[in-house]
Amino acid sequence: MGVVTVLTGEVRADGVSKAIDSTTLLLPTDVSADPGECVVLRGQNGSGKTTLLRIIGGLLAPSAGTATIGGREADERDRAVRAAVAGLLGAPTTYRDLTLIDHLVLIDSTWGGEPSTSDDRGTALLERLGIASLDDRFPHELSSGQEQLFRLAITFARPSSVLLLDEPEQRLDTSKRQIVGALIRERTSAGSTVVMACHDPEMTAALGDQVVDIKPAR
Amino acid sequence: MGDDNQANAKRAGGSDGVDGVDASDVAETEFDDAELLGQADWIIGGEQARKARQQGLYAAYLVFLGSLAYGFPLVQALFRTSNPEVLRQQLASPEALALLVAAIAAVFIAALWVGRFRGPVVPPLPWIDLVVTTPIDRALSVRRWWRFALSAGVFLGAITGLVLGGGLAFTGVTSPVSVAVGLVGGAAVAVAAAHLWLWSQVRSWPGPNRGPKLIWHVPEALRELHVDGLRAHSANTSTLAGSAMTGNLRTARLQLARPVRFARGVRLRAGRPFPTMVRRDILGLLRSPASLAAGFGLVVLGGAVVVWAATQGSAPGIGVTIGLVPLYLGFGAWSEGLRLQADNVGTPSLIGSGPLAEASAHLVVPLAFTTVVLVAGVVVSALATPVSALSLLSLLAVLAVLCGGHLLAAFRGSAPVRGGPQGMIAWYLMPVLFVLLVGSLMTFFVKAALWSWLGFAGWLTIGFVWWGFYQTRRLTHMHRA
Repeated sequence: MGVVTVLTGEVRADGVSKAIDSTTLLLPTDVSADPGECVVLRGQNGSGKTTLLRIIGGLLAPSAGTATIGGREADERDRAVRAAVAGLLGAPTTYRDLTLIDHLVLIDSTWGGEPSTSDDRGTALLERLGIASLDDRFPHELSSGQEQLFRLAITFARPSSVLLLDEPEQRLDTSKRQIVGALIRERTSAGSTVVMACHDPEMTAALGDQVVDIKPAR
Repeated sequence: MGDDNQANAKRAGGSDGVDGVDASDVAETEFDDAELLGQADWIIGGEQARKARQQGLYAAYLVFLGSLAYGFPLVQALFRTSNPEVLRQQLASPEALALLVAAIAAVFIAALWVGRFRGPVVPPLPWIDLVVTTPIDRALSVRRWWRFALSAGVFLGAITGLVLGGGLAFTGVTSPVSVAVGLVGGAAVAVAAAHLWLWSQVRSWPGPNRGPKLIWHVPEALRELHVDGLRAHSANTSTLAGSAMTGNLRTARLQLARPVRFARGVRLRAGRPFPTMVRRDILGLLRSPASLAAGFGLVVLGGAVVVWAATQGSAPGIGVTIGLVPLYLGFGAWSEGLRLQADNVGTPSLIGSGPLAEASAHLVVPLAFTTVVLVAGVVVSALATPVSALSLLSLLAVLAVLCGGHLLAAFRGSAPVRGGPQGMIAWYLMPVLFVLLVGSLMTFFVKAALWSWLGFAGWLTIGFVWWGFYQTRRLTHMHRA
């Protein structure tokens, strides 16, 4: 056990860019988001939205510029940053031997959730996403849309002050997109900062307090 | 080719007709299977196919020479380190016989298990699509892969038996007859294992005729191989080989793993972080009974040899090194949680615990299970002869080294991009080689009465475990470069 600083959800990316050898993945970009805000990153495929999200999440060091979370350098090695940032950036590796509800209970327990109500929280989240009836399935038994909902569930299951989502609308039908939109709005209303890449104009218009257009490197 | 077949076409007559159909209406075509296969061989493989077969024979020749050059001296060294008289008595004991039977049973079980996803008959995919799907008798069109697997198996089995029997005979532990017994016995076990391997491949695809009589009726077994099953096994082989060559162990593991379907009604109980992760691993094993059983079999086998070598004065010290191989593999079968943690490296945190706490939690189950098996082995050993405190210390070191080795294995990182095949092999073998080396040291020093070196072995063991945790932490954060 150790003491972990609780970071606020202030997200700042000042002139961050990323280049590997001679290939530019992300041109210098600014993002500024305060607690309770939702910033939508918009741009064509390959413009660097995922790279920017990975930099903000501290998973990738920028080639230039600085990224901070709650005033602290965004570096995933920092326990405080890990505690602050939840993210769905690509497919998380799930346990092939745990059911959906087991995943949520495990995550809830490791983040200090009250054990006696852990199952209820997990079930409630699955119900919100419309997959409560699949609670005893294993991840390999889901369709691609159900899998996306499950990934969102395990991302939402842990506490965070910053939520990073890379195209959460992927493979979801209209009604499910609305449900996910409502969950994101609840998070921002509760004070979390959300930064998400999105290709859905309706979700962008409904959720985005700011929209940042990412220019493609080439 | 087509013209020949057309020329061979004929009308069936007389009693050769199919029941219920006028015999004069049934057309039959004769195929010269051997000729068709020869033509297909030439078109697909050409001269290079013949050269590839020659290279295979050359590889077998090299294995044979290597066995003579290194196998005999190694086995002789193994038996020379022990008292021949006592060793002869122990080899003739019921326990030794039980161990031999268990080892042979393990080979058979392994053949059955591997045959589920990679049987002995794995033609290249173009051959399956272009030749196996033709009316050529399937027993002929896929026979060469069966014969190749059988020959390779018999060769390896005979070499293993020859080396073991020869080692025993030349060190005077047994009579020279053991050379012939080893040779024939090894080959016989290999023949049986190869047949079980083929049978398991046949059974991997649904079908009406999959009974045990196919084990010894090879042509019928080959005809029962479904083309989609052959494709699946061939694709598995490509995936496994590709994963092995690129060091992508997760892909290989998932390819091998059977989808989990057991005990879905059992829920993970919520609680404090560390115990919840331990319960996760127990639940994982409950839902993967094959891993649980494989781990148990290997740990019992390896643990028996390690305990025997560490606690019995007459046993050769190198027995610890040999026993560590199945012990390491069995411990690994129970360490899926550790590997899954390593799979998640580079993704945003889902688990609230730090990497070292999480890794420690994932070591609890394999460590506890292995400790129980070793303690049981020590109790059995103590019934025969008193067990010294120092031999218990060497077993403690073995447990610690297993933990360190599996941390290193799970968090070994990406495969080297330089160094060629040798570098890749070294990357694969590095954890187990360190386990064999460091895990054997304490027993070696105890048996050699080199008391002043025990401290060195102890510190080396602690350093090895620290290295494992260091690698866990390093790899967890390395991706941010």
